[in-house]
Amino acid sequence: MLKMTNISKVFRTELVETHALSDFTLNVEEGEFVTITGPSGCGKTTFLNIAGLLETYTSGSYLLDNVDVTELGDFQRARLRNEKIGFIFQSFNLMPDLNLFDNVDVPLRYRGMKASERRPRVEKALESVGLLGRKKHLPAQLSGGQQQRVAIARALVGEPRFLLADEPTGNLDSNTAQGVMELLNEINAQGTTIIMVTHDQELAQQSPRNIHILDGRIAQESGKRTPVTPAETAAAVA
Amino acid sequence: MFFYYVRLAALSYKRNPILSTLMVLAVAIGIGAYMVVFTLNYTMGGDPIPHKSAQLFHVQLDNGDPDRENDPPDQLTYIDAMALQEAGRAFRQTASSKLSVIVEPTNPEIRPFSVIGRGAFADFFPMFDVPFLYGQGWNAEADENIEQVVVLSRETNERLFGGANSVGETVVLAGMNFQVTGVLDYWDPVPKFYDVNNGPFDSGEALYIPWHHTVQSDLPRTGNTNCWKPLEGTGQEAFLNSECVWIQYWVELRSRAEEEDYLSFLNAYTNEQRNLGRFQREQNNKLFDVQERMIEQEVLPDETRILSVLAAMLLAVCLLNTIGLLLAKFLGKSAEIGARQALGAHKGSLFVQHVIEAGFIGLLGGLIGLVLAYFGLEGIKILIGDQITVSDWVHLDVPVVLVTITLAIGCTIVAGLYPIWRACNINPAIHLKTQ
Repeated sequence: MLKMTNISKVFRTELVETHALSDFTLNVEEGEFVTITGPSGCGKTTFLNIAGLLETYTSGSYLLDNVDVTELGDFQRARLRNEKIGFIFQSFNLMPDLNLFDNVDVPLRYRGMKASERRPRVEKALESVGLLGRKKHLPAQLSGGQQQRVAIARALVGEPRFLLADEPTGNLDSNTAQGVMELLNEINAQGTTIIMVTHDQELAQQSPRNIHILDGRIAQESGKRTPVTPAETAAAVA
Repeated sequence: MFFYYVRLAALSYKRNPILSTLMVLAVAIGIGAYMVVFTLNYTMGGDPIPHKSAQLFHVQLDNGDPDRENDPPDQLTYIDAMALQEAGRAFRQTASSKLSVIVEPTNPEIRPFSVIGRGAFADFFPMFDVPFLYGQGWNAEADENIEQVVVLSRETNERLFGGANSVGETVVLAGMNFQVTGVLDYWDPVPKFYDVNNGPFDSGEALYIPWHHTVQSDLPRTGNTNCWKPLEGTGQEAFLNSECVWIQYWVELRSRAEEEDYLSFLNAYTNEQRNLGRFQREQNNKLFDVQERMIEQEVLPDETRILSVLAAMLLAVCLLNTIGLLLAKFLGKSAEIGARQALGAHKGSLFVQHVIEAGFIGLLGGLIGLVLAYFGLEGIKILIGDQITVSDWVHLDVPVVLVTITLAIGCTIVAGLYPIWRACNINPAIHLKTQ
């Protein structure tokens, strides 16, 4: 489903050449929950940005849902991001001027959906994170945990196949972080593939599959989860 | 998405009210100053009779001083004007000149007053499409018989008859009874194309009478008179037979062929006169249509051109400031732009969003610029109002308002292209991490 083969990413300036990723190869199957760990500057975020089509790579190949993204233009990459990927960021990245409803509505607007189609989907997404009652509030009126739940609703509203989370609990206290992790587990249990970058070893250990990156390469990999089956998915929903 | 982007632009304004207001003011000041000068140019340099300006021709015959090399005189002598009028070779033609006349109201409560009038031929009214409120102009017979008929301006009719239909009423001019045949509706072409050399921005005349009265009734002439050689004798007869020019002469020619025919006629006429000892310079007769005449007379003063350049420079400085402010504003939104890209916005949609945001600022700047332009024009009226009757014609009309708004939006979008390009090309990965 996500297949990176020998991906390298080199950042060049006039004086320095930095290899953020070197011959990075990774396969992620549908329904997996993968955590990515590693020290600062090891290439975790670069990997996530390449996976999320926010960054290009220097060499290698990357198939996302069987689509080779190497030669895709900006418009096609944006469309793929919009339809297949949901993002969750450490700093939530909500639009401060828009209320919760309008924040969650953003991906659907870029998909060109009519207002009558968008409304029930946005309300359902907000309901799934327990914030429908506050849809008219601005992000600044919410706690950090609530803001991250809105960000999760925004990531899910387009029903993406991937959820890419970059330190989603990094700005939250441990209790709130646990709540967000439970929510992510529920989402994963319903079949959404999640790739999460984290510094938190405890959280990483909770995940079925952990990849440890060092100097732009996979240094260690623990656990490999069998993809969820339709039956498992049904059981989780029940 | 258009209204969504407009809403985002309004929200963005609210988020950075000081920065946004600075941009709006920069655009408003630049546009306001530019539009003041634009309005002056537009009004002073506009076509006063657009539907017909290419068919109306000002006649110039070169009977100037043979010892000098200057352009043909702007006006005609009495001899020439009457000869052209008598020949009647154009579709329509009229000699005309200004005169000063005392009006003696029949109403004893109104004291006699002096006005500037115009002697003209019957063709004057249909040629220049003069609008009538009541009645009409006189006919060719009235010209021939030198009938005592008069056409009043709307203001004069207001003054003498309280604005009522005065057709058929009598007006006493310089002691003679004139019968009113018509009352003009509002008519004040700017520039006053039919008599540019006596003041392109003067008001229209208070009344009009058959042209022959200016000579036969010995009414006091007024306006520009030039003589390149001394009169041969004294008195009116000598003046009428002199080479003094004082009469404006216009013809209406409906086609290029008519124009060529008429010029040939003029050349033949002056050749004939040359044989009689007049017109001692080389053939150089002119037929200028309205627009050519305005350019030839340099109706638009040099000062307005200098002002235009200065206003354009001020607008450029204001827009340069706007570029800097837009750059600061858009790059300040890098995290939001990055998030939008992550959520599915492509560069094209981000470009449109920010063009609309720049246009929104331009629209506000244009609206405030209109207010500034209005006050600027009021200031100009105060400054030069005594010299020319600007108060009647310097104003912001619908085309000027539309030009202002369009210019403001267009300029701001152009000024915003670089900031927008920068905003659309940020690396989302960097800004999503560092919010």
